[in-house]
Amino acid sequence: MNAVAIPVLHSAIAIMTPLLLAATGGVFTELSGMLNIALEGLMLIGAFTSIVFSHYTQSLLLGVLLGMVCTMALAALLGAITLYLKSNVFITGLATNLFASGLTVVLSFRLFGNKGVVVFDEVAKLPRLVVPALQKIPVLGDIFIGHHVFVYLSWLLLLAAGWVLYRTPFGFRLRAAGLHEETLVSLGMQPKRYRFQAFLISGFACGLAGAVLTLNLGAFVPNITSGKGWIALVVIFLGQKRPLGLLVAALVFGFADSFSNYAQGAWNVPAEFILAIPYLFTLVAMVLFSIYTSRKSSIE
Amino acid sequence: MEHAVEMRGIVKIYPGTGLRANDGVDLLLQKNEILCLAGENGAGKTTLMKVLYGLERPDSGTISIMGTQTPIHSPLEANRLGIGMVHQHFMLVDEFTVAQNVVMGKEPRRHRFTYDLVTTEKQVAEVIDTHHFSIDPNKPVGKLTVGQKQQVEIVKMLYRNVDILILDEPTAVLTEQEIESLFVTLRALAAHGTSLILITHKLHEIKAISDRVAIMRQGKMVGDYSTASVDEREISRLMMGESVSLSIDKKPYNGEKRPVLRFDDVSVVRRNQERPLLNKVSFTAHSGEILGFAGVGGNGLGVLEAVLGGFLPITEGTITHNGEDISHDDSADLRRNGLAFVPADRLSVGSALSATVAENLIIASRKSYVNHGVMGKKRIEERTRTLLDTYSVKGRSHMPMGTLSGGNIQKVILAREMEQYRDHIVFSEPTWGLDIASSLFVYEKMLELRDNGAAVILISSNLDEILALSDRIIIFYRGTVVALLEAKELKQVTKEEMGAYMLGLKRQEGPNG
Amino acid sequence: MGEERKRMRFLPAKLARNSVGALVILAIALGVLVILSLLLSKTPGKTLRYFFLGPLQNTYYFGNMVNTAIPLIFGGLGISLAMRAGSFNLGGEGQLYGGAFVATISALAFAPLGFLGGVLALFLGAMTGGVLAGISGVLRMKWNTSELISSFLLSNAVVLIVSYLIAGPFMDPETNLIATGKIPESLRFMRILEPSNLSAGLYFALIAVLLVYLYLQKTRSGYELRMFGMNPMFAKYGGISVHWYRVWPMFLSGAFYGLGGGMAIFGTYYACMKEFSVGMGWNGLAVALIAGFKPVAVIPAALFFAYIESGARNAMLHSDVTFEIASIVQAVVFFLVTSSVLQQIGKKRRVL
Repeated sequence: MNAVAIPVLHSAIAIMTPLLLAATGGVFTELSGMLNIALEGLMLIGAFTSIVFSHYTQSLLLGVLLGMVCTMALAALLGAITLYLKSNVFITGLATNLFASGLTVVLSFRLFGNKGVVVFDEVAKLPRLVVPALQKIPVLGDIFIGHHVFVYLSWLLLLAAGWVLYRTPFGFRLRAAGLHEETLVSLGMQPKRYRFQAFLISGFACGLAGAVLTLNLGAFVPNITSGKGWIALVVIFLGQKRPLGLLVAALVFGFADSFSNYAQGAWNVPAEFILAIPYLFTLVAMVLFSIYTSRKSSIE
Repeated sequence: MEHAVEMRGIVKIYPGTGLRANDGVDLLLQKNEILCLAGENGAGKTTLMKVLYGLERPDSGTISIMGTQTPIHSPLEANRLGIGMVHQHFMLVDEFTVAQNVVMGKEPRRHRFTYDLVTTEKQVAEVIDTHHFSIDPNKPVGKLTVGQKQQVEIVKMLYRNVDILILDEPTAVLTEQEIESLFVTLRALAAHGTSLILITHKLHEIKAISDRVAIMRQGKMVGDYSTASVDEREISRLMMGESVSLSIDKKPYNGEKRPVLRFDDVSVVRRNQERPLLNKVSFTAHSGEILGFAGVGGNGLGVLEAVLGGFLPITEGTITHNGEDISHDDSADLRRNGLAFVPADRLSVGSALSATVAENLIIASRKSYVNHGVMGKKRIEERTRTLLDTYSVKGRSHMPMGTLSGGNIQKVILAREMEQYRDHIVFSEPTWGLDIASSLFVYEKMLELRDNGAAVILISSNLDEILALSDRIIIFYRGTVVALLEAKELKQVTKEEMGAYMLGLKRQEGPNG
Repeated sequence: MGEERKRMRFLPAKLARNSVGALVILAIALGVLVILSLLLSKTPGKTLRYFFLGPLQNTYYFGNMVNTAIPLIFGGLGISLAMRAGSFNLGGEGQLYGGAFVATISALAFAPLGFLGGVLALFLGAMTGGVLAGISGVLRMKWNTSELISSFLLSNAVVLIVSYLIAGPFMDPETNLIATGKIPESLRFMRILEPSNLSAGLYFALIAVLLVYLYLQKTRSGYELRMFGMNPMFAKYGGISVHWYRVWPMFLSGAFYGLGGGMAIFGTYYACMKEFSVGMGWNGLAVALIAGFKPVAVIPAALFFAYIESGARNAMLHSDVTFEIASIVQAVVFFLVTSSVLQQIGKKRRVL
């Protein structure tokens, strides 16, 4: 059993990292009162720009940083059009995703003459945490040690996000924007300001999340994010918008994904069904939630 | 000696409706005094205070605080000038603690970015103690009672060191003991240097707590008086206005009077409301009469309107129409049975502003224009033109409803409803915002309907209107019928007396309709 | 009552009255296109020439362009109906694809019934789309679940499931494509502009526009739908069934998408190929947004989007840019088209 469980869990930790990163960023927009479905598109831009810049600058660090800048720029555009041009946040989120998927292919073609998979052999692989002493710990060592740095970074960022949300005035005001924005207005503060900054934060985190995808692979695959942005949203709702919840939910999905890879080989569940699960799951969760709220506000 | 607050010539017109919420208002607040700002709903009190607190910008006028003239553009500026406001609807985040709510926007920090939660709790506890409140700074606000939540709002302002505190209808949601407790707090605050303005329309509270009272009516300041020099009747009279009798020629109805619409012990209860919205309301509306309903806003008239229109289901009791039980009919059912209804909210309920005048006109009678599945445009056009003419509406059938003036919108609504009633028709605030000529036109038509045998129900906060038109009057207070005035009593009743009923000072023994 | 005011800002009727705003948005979109060409193409002049003139240069390209617009017209009509009633249908992708699939396999199954089988197949395709969207409508009616989100989620799941079905149980073993079998020749629509693949589906599309226009303007149900969309409180006040108009318009909009999918198969593809319709659902939505939800305006709006796609394809074939430029232009439209700030441009102030 261990021969199966441990590799599956190990790979679950790795798989959940981009989900956790994207969800960590997305939770800021959710808490500020905006439904942000652009996580997908933002991750895609992050994925593309970080590996491309790494390739051109021959530096992983610079590549990732520049990738994050680009992602935050797109997030700023999304935030500005939604908040200051007063647009429907769902449609602008869709626009962001459409824009990202178009732009990445267009640029890929222009820069590398290739609309499909672009392999970047010479880009360094992500550094991994190799500590023999820790790796010798039975079970836990095999599962938690040996991942690339972003895995551990994602946990640190989650902690940092928790600190910002619950231990800084900014975090309180941002959450107030989502919980009861009239309170902010009555005290002379503008909810829009905090929402915009939340969009920027989601761009920051999604940039990292995307970078993980491509840098881990060493290549850019069109639509490499395929649905992960949406799953990140499910993670946020499942995790009840709280840091610990995010971690657990991301782990659940990471495990489900890792296990389904195994199952696809071992059993024969069609890949599409597995991919459809997050959508159906969220749908059912939404309906149940609506039933609950409508019962609460009915007569007697 | 300078005043704490001096407002001069404040004018505020709301652009959407053209309503002059404040029409050249002056207000003076002395230091350390408790001033009550009184008036009926819609008199302009809250608007005036929103201007003072920087939540609204006046179209003209000046504000001086402690002698210095200064414009106030936001609550932050107001706070800086020492002004605080406790709103009618709480501005609190239920999920945060008392302390976190109090300091929001002025959070104590450690190293610039970190929220110093420990100091926060300490400082807030200090403010709470100094003023002898007993709330736990660490409790989530959602778990507090209504009275305690209000205390949090007050502490929130005291934390900002305000010298001038505005309270908007603070006692609206409190129990008797909580009100007492609040008054003790307010008196202590005044004694220690804070100047207070209380927005209220409750007469006995004005007498109990204030040093002076400033009375507003229909956007204008009627006057301010030292509380000791006026009694409750006087205040009521000033709030409601002089008894101006509209000269309307009302002939007695000679036809047969049969009951058309009957309410028997109708109650409307909601889980989240303490008091029933309607409490065992009973009355009968007869053909050939105008039955008027009077009351101060928020006392059940709106609920009655919603029930009559089929918007609000009732919890108890029965409603009968010509003997048929319609207690659970919704708006579609009522319309099918010939309901005619002129709602108080013309813009959100009575019309669709982006639709054309013709489209608005036919909504209730739409089925009658259908021929083989197709709606007869020509017939609709003709009918619209006729009605617009009859009712002297300035507008044409293909214009969007929203381009008409408020008065003309009301005329279209009247045209629609009056032309298709069957045996009863409900009017709610029919002349609100209309000029004299249009109002008289409405009254004429209402009398016509009544003379033709309709049962006319008139819900209105305009006492002159109710007194002039109604054959009988029912008065509501807190969702209950507190008086039924028959024709004889109507000849003698004064507006003060009606005001007394409406404000809960007086109650008829065992009213029934 | 504040909610009503907020919704009024995005009222379809308001956007419908403001063509200036729509033109501004289109101008910006085309401007972005020009900039992209300048930045990305080594021969921007050539690129732009093929982009703008390519689709018009001969019957082949022109006809193909118009053909692309057909499913967009159906989708645009469907969305317009939903929006005029105040409902957001974001499930077009699944409704179109699902409807196309059901129409195809029905046509195959009913082959012996000949012409009648074809009609039945298209009808079932429309029903598929209708039911999918209708589910969202019912959820909204009963429990106030956002139909915007539920239609989107359901659509994503449906797309995956249909793709599985095409690649799996329903795959045609005789071709190299991942697709179902081809529908009988007798059911395939005529080509009406050789050598292009413009099909007779165009006639159906134009008839559909007329029918929707007549429905909205001349029938009682259409009137009720419009009034409900403009002010649900007013509609309820006037005795219109609020429950019905939360469901029926969504159903109609899904049905149009499903029908459009069926039309695409019968007219152009003849078999349901895996993911053949990717993007058509979203384009239908964009078409409706640009058209201000007016049925007649859907035609030029659909042609505009088809033009963008054809132009991109042309530029791709003859120059050095990639087809995905079209997605970027479409994204720009999506970004701007719901902005209530832009909608106010060029509008007269209302006199009350």
